[in-house]
Amino acid sequence: MAYQHVHVKTPLSLKILPIISISLFFGLWEFVVQSGIVPETMLASPSQVVKFFIYKLTEPNPDGAVLSQHAWMSLKEAGTGYLLSLLVGLPLGLLMGWFTTVRGMFRPLFELIRPIPPIAWIPLCIFWFGIGLWGKVFIIWIAGIVPCVINAWVGVKMTNPTLIQMARTYGASDWQIFTKICVPSALPMVFGALQIALVCCWTNLVGAELLAADQGLGYLISMGRRLAMPEMVVLGMVTVGLGGSLIGVIIDVLEKRLLAGIRR
Amino acid sequence: MSTSTVANEIVQNVREKKEFSLLALIRNEYFLYVVSSVAFVAIWHWVAAEQILGKSLATPYAVIKELYRLTSTELAGQTLWGHIWASTQRILIGFILASLVGVPLGLFMALNRTANAIIKPVFDLFKPMPPIAWVSIAILWFGIGEASKVFIIVIGTFVPCLLNSYNGIRLIEPELYDVVRSLGGKSRDEIFQVSFPAAFPAIFAGLQISLSIGWTCVLAAELVSARSGLGWIIVQGMKQTKPEMVIGGMLIIALVAWLSSEALAHLEKLLCPWKREIEGL
Repeated sequence: MAYQHVHVKTPLSLKILPIISISLFFGLWEFVVQSGIVPETMLASPSQVVKFFIYKLTEPNPDGAVLSQHAWMSLKEAGTGYLLSLLVGLPLGLLMGWFTTVRGMFRPLFELIRPIPPIAWIPLCIFWFGIGLWGKVFIIWIAGIVPCVINAWVGVKMTNPTLIQMARTYGASDWQIFTKICVPSALPMVFGALQIALVCCWTNLVGAELLAADQGLGYLISMGRRLAMPEMVVLGMVTVGLGGSLIGVIIDVLEKRLLAGIRR
Repeated sequence: MSTSTVANEIVQNVREKKEFSLLALIRNEYFLYVVSSVAFVAIWHWVAAEQILGKSLATPYAVIKELYRLTSTELAGQTLWGHIWASTQRILIGFILASLVGVPLGLFMALNRTANAIIKPVFDLFKPMPPIAWVSIAILWFGIGEASKVFIIVIGTFVPCLLNSYNGIRLIEPELYDVVRSLGGKSRDEIFQVSFPAAFPAIFAGLQISLSIGWTCVLAAELVSARSGLGWIIVQGMKQTKPEMVIGGMLIIALVAWLSSEALAHLEKLLCPWKREIEGL
């Protein structure tokens, strides 16, 4: 931040209200299940979920794997797909933003793929890759590549034209303008893409695992539905949510470190 | 949210008459679009016809033929048009419900600190959960009928609706408020003259995100359990090992999803002509 922070005192009520509302939410949730207003086959209370979480840490039954195994499997799939989508998507997007030839070659294909929700690829993936790791990686890759390309492209497009004109005046070649001006000025957008692609990858991981898997957090959720165990479903959802926000925080910190000098 | 201040200066585009040459043709963007489209279809046809990927890829011609067949034959009591409508209807209901609740709530939260302090923490709990993860719980709650599908769409589309209208107001430049205040406006004027118009582009961006999430959600719901809809067509294609049906279904999804987002973009241009855009994307 370029400007100084002015410390404004928040009223006490605004500090307390979030705590009240959170505890009210959990209290209500617990009450609704305990009192039997919502049957136990439909929703598990927070305490049940916590109990099941502790149980699941060591016990592979009834779905065949410990929680950490599920989480590791999901992380592996999402990580591989995410990295691959960054590796392909970001350079492609940057190049498409600057070079007409690249744009001409890839834009029709990209525009075709863009509106298709990644989980629509599941059947084709099962045809092509079976239900192993690579089918899921492919879906996650497809999910991540779209925001990567779009953000990198927009980042290059948003380059200040004055800078480009100045470089031209000083006799820079097309490639020099691209590497020295467009790419650095697109960096904030590229880091934005890291976040967005991560969200897309993580979301579609669950989708990929819903249909065909034998391990992973999405599999945990769908097994919970099949066995009519709501605590398993809720546990899976919470783990996915927590995992997603945790990785998001890590990327945020990284971004602040690396982009400390760039004005936004 | 990225503000689209491209540059403050006016760039004049002067069209020069270009001499026609082969090199200019190769560098022409639109010519390249045609070339790459044709090349893509040709490679697709070649790979499918030579069965390089086994029988798991259909030729473009087979896909079109299959789509034509689906428009006239009934699958589970409905032709292709019926299935398209089934999916679209689910999205429309869920999307409209979510935006009718989400957008006003987001605006309200951004303008009222007390409401924000109450709702935001609970909302933040739900925010990171992928909408597809709700499929299972929706089925536990509502069975496999229409209600569970609409529920998933509402949950999925609600988050970006609320978040974007909230951030849309939060990220308004404070100078704009100063202008209203120094011109003697009341806080009502601040809200109606500044907050709403300035947040409008962000709200519409949120609606666009919602729409694409809505398509993901409806497909997830239909892939897991349904008797109609485009996701169901894809699943049927998979069960019958008919790649032409799967690819045809995907193409139709792409087309309908694209059309719906174009319609929304058009609506935005009508309702919000002051939005600045980045050209060419």
